[in-house]
Amino acid sequence: MTKMLTNKPFMHIQFSHINKSYCKKRCGFFIKKSQAKVIFNDANIVLKGGQCVLLTGSNGSGKSTLLRIIAGILKPDCATITTGSKSLSWKKANKLIRQQVMYLYQEPYMFDGSVTRNLEYALNGKKFSSHSVNQITRALKWANLEHRADTSAKCLSGGERQRVALAQAWLKQPSVLLLDEPTANMDKASRQATEALLLKFKERGTALLIASHDVKHFHQTMDKQLLLENGHIFEIGDKTNNISLFPHSSKRQA
Amino acid sequence: MGSLLTTTLEAISLLFSGDAELWSIIGISFRISTTAILIAMIPAILLGFTLAYANFPGRRIFISIFNSLLAVPAVVVGLTLYIVLSRQGPLGEWKLLFSQTAMVLGQIALSFPILVAMSHTAFQSAEIRAWDTARTLAKNPLSAFFIIMREVRFGLFGALLAAYGRIIAEVGASMMLGGNILNSTRNIPTAIAMETSKGEFAQGIALGIILVSMAFFLTMSLQYMQGRGKISND
Ligand SMILES: Nc1ncnc2c1ncn2[C@@H]1O[C@H](COP(=O)(O)OP(=O)(O)O)[C@@H](O)[C@H]1O
Ligand SMILES: [Mg+2]
Repeated sequence: MTKMLTNKPFMHIQFSHINKSYCKKRCGFFIKKSQAKVIFNDANIVLKGGQCVLLTGSNGSGKSTLLRIIAGILKPDCATITTGSKSLSWKKANKLIRQQVMYLYQEPYMFDGSVTRNLEYALNGKKFSSHSVNQITRALKWANLEHRADTSAKCLSGGERQRVALAQAWLKQPSVLLLDEPTANMDKASRQATEALLLKFKERGTALLIASHDVKHFHQTMDKQLLLENGHIFEIGDKTNNISLFPHSSKRQA
Repeated sequence: MGSLLTTTLEAISLLFSGDAELWSIIGISFRISTTAILIAMIPAILLGFTLAYANFPGRRIFISIFNSLLAVPAVVVGLTLYIVLSRQGPLGEWKLLFSQTAMVLGQIALSFPILVAMSHTAFQSAEIRAWDTARTLAKNPLSAFFIIMREVRFGLFGALLAAYGRIIAEVGASMMLGGNILNSTRNIPTAIAMETSKGEFAQGIALGIILVSMAFFLTMSLQYMQGRGKISND
């Protein structure tokens, strides 16, 4: 699988001039300006293949909103997407980013049926070839879910669901992987398992963006730390100096 | 009341003797209702899906409209279509009144709101997260749609059964639009109504047995399927 990926150039994708506000009253015809809550005001973010970016910020600062905009699920008021030499609006780039970017929910949704079936969905309906059967077996092994292959996915624990979702991403091979609070409500063992899998994505050349307020959990994985505050994104540290910045970020979280 | 037993026995023997008239009525009933469901099904499920997941202005109004259409009596649906199809009506030139086509149209109109409202409920039972996940996993929106269809399949089967049950047993619109013509538009409910008014209960009871056993069979098979779904969840 890794061999296949080396043919793919590493992704370099920039989201700039992101603006987004939520309207407080959803169905009102006349929404006053003052009623709209501004989440992003001209924010920028760059994602590179093989690089892991940690996005921090207090609850309600807009981390999930940003991830959903980047994944192409949520429409921003405006945003420009630049990849290679092309610059596109969010809407024009939607098809491209839907193909390249994958978003994992904090609590991944499991479809009715076995774990294997949930993995098959990530293979685009090519599930009947022996090649895909092989791929699924390897993905199960990769995520340490072999003993769960035939279990109903809806009955898995939080950590196992997360690993199913990561195995789906491993099969799907997106250029960019977005994770929303991947280790919230997890015990230490599950957290370590998740982090180990994330490292493999990095080695493969996937661009990772993790939204989390547990800075210390992604110590090994992270290359760059961003802080989301008042609608702006600040770069507050990288691998070399993040330790000095811990008090800074924890102060803002408090 | 002693005659009730003899009439029922007569009805059963009528069914098993393969009475040509009786079986023609049954055949017409199932043919018309199945055609109507098959035509109404696809657009209704797509609409129910759109109402559940798409966000467009007037969405809530649409949902209330379909929910209130559920309460419109079949005779009113029949009357409306009668006016439209009658000779002076806008579609009078098509000469469809008192034909199987008119009955199919009536049954489509009757089943469509049920199918939309119930499939909307079914799709809503899977959260928006399910749709977004299907969308990220599948290569295009169509395959994502099939993943979600499978996810809510019991709700959709329920919608189909409820709609089928309503149209196959409905008298008002069938009578007005079809006209109860033997071997053409006489179906189970119109035949029952007519035979009963003539005082001939045997055929009515025989047809009633068919309707009731079909209702039992459909409900039981749905429950069986749901039960199997539950077991695989354990
Ligand atoms: N669908 C929505 N409609 C209106 N407001 C929303 C919606 N989703 C989120 N918000 C608001 O936007 C802000 C940012 O939310 P979110 O992106 O979930 O933050 P985070 O993930 O950082 O906790 C919060 O104040 C939240 O109340
Ligand atoms: Mg969040």
